Amino acid sequence: MKRRRSLFIHLSHIRLLAQKFALVILFLSAFVLMLVNKTDTFLIEKTSSAAMDVVSPAIDVLVIPAKAIAKVYDYFQDLRKIHEDNIRLREENKRLNRLFDRARALEIENKLLSDLLNFVVPPEAGYITARVVAEEGDAFSHSIIAYTGDSSVKKGQVALSDKGVIGRVDRVGSVYARIILISDINSKIPVMVEKTRVRGILSGDNTTLPKMVFIPLEAEINVGDRIVTSGVAGIFPSGLPIGRVVSVNKNEIRVKPFSSLEQLEYVKLVDYGLSGVIEDEAPLRDAH
Amino acid sequence: MRIEMSEDLDENITSLFQRILPFLSSLILLLLSYVPLDFSLLNNIRPSVGIVCVYFWMLHRPDLFNLWSVYFLGMIDDIISASPFGSNIMSMLLMYILLNNTSRFFNAKPFIVTWYGFAALALVTMLSRWLVVSVYYGQFLPLAIMMFSYLVTVASYPLLSLLLAYIQNHLIQDEE
Repeated sequence: MKRRRSLFIHLSHIRLLAQKFALVILFLSAFVLMLVNKTDTFLIEKTSSAAMDVVSPAIDVLVIPAKAIAKVYDYFQDLRKIHEDNIRLREENKRLNRLFDRARALEIENKLLSDLLNFVVPPEAGYITARVVAEEGDAFSHSIIAYTGDSSVKKGQVALSDKGVIGRVDRVGSVYARIILISDINSKIPVMVEKTRVRGILSGDNTTLPKMVFIPLEAEINVGDRIVTSGVAGIFPSGLPIGRVVSVNKNEIRVKPFSSLEQLEYVKLVDYGLSGVIEDEAPLRDAH
Repeated sequence: MRIEMSEDLDENITSLFQRILPFLSSLILLLLSYVPLDFSLLNNIRPSVGIVCVYFWMLHRPDLFNLWSVYFLGMIDDIISASPFGSNIMSMLLMYILLNNTSRFFNAKPFIVTWYGFAALALVTMLSRWLVVSVYYGQFLPLAIMMFSYLVTVASYPLLSLLLAYIQNHLIQDEE
């Protein structure tokens, strides 16, 4: 009896020890995963993209009931705003009609001048519209996952909303892609002030307002200046709208994106045919 | 004979379902926390559902929510999130370790005590993650946003625990 009891105690000790050992191993594995991720090897990227393709459909299914609840709330909110919107839209329509006439005149003028200069027109960009299925925006990262379907989305492609640049494609699975937003700590975009052409880098830091860094010392930047992509480094074409300067301090210049990054439903993934410094990788489906 | 076998099979399936229910419910809540919603109110800051689930199930049903459940939940969180891979696993494992050593203070206590307990452990967990990821990037992440995220997580605990308690009381039966 005594022997059986001591055996039982012995076994429970071993089990406890094994559990502690497993805990240490799992904790270390998490640490190793972080280190490997830091080196950003092809293997981690490929595995992560494949795993994203497995998990994302589950979120996609949950989107339907969650959206239905949100839509009911939105419906009642919208009812209140319809009258105000109507007045505002009529005014906007008048203004846009005037702008349209002006743009048409400029287009004709531009064509005539281009013909005179023998200007070579760049190839037209191809794009797809992708539905957002998951989003996050806390202190640790700002990203979205979008359903791209069977289209050939590539790493580094520009992600746009109806108002301007929102980020770039970071990981590509077979039908889903992860997009790093311009407010994410990993986002660094060459930009310039539209009016003065002063160049800099728009750097995200996981806050809602990315900052503009690496600006020439003598540069004059004011609150309200429009910031657009500069096209340097060949990842983004120049002139895409990004945002407006909202604060200019001694140490930092903050930019408010034109797009509302926390309310993205559909995004446009544009292929300008620029590979830039990002390695052009074949998407996963090519490997199958 | 056939009816008996079928009943046994039914019982086995029900028992298996009940055993995986804590993990399954945590997984669904975790995935729901990433669903895009048009509320600009929270500016996309959502509760860290993973650590709420780890705390709840470890406290109430540690027999059905083991180390591997914690690890896989953290891994799925890492797959969806763009934060450094492994950081969510680390924070959930840390919650597991902390709770293993302190659960006797919160177990079978009034709800308010378990809530305070969660607030204390979640603070340590989230601050540790903030520190680790800051070291990873070589720059401090915005602490104010992290603290806001922490407050949202603590504030959401009663609601989430109510939901998980319902699952525990109505869908999981105690083994006789």
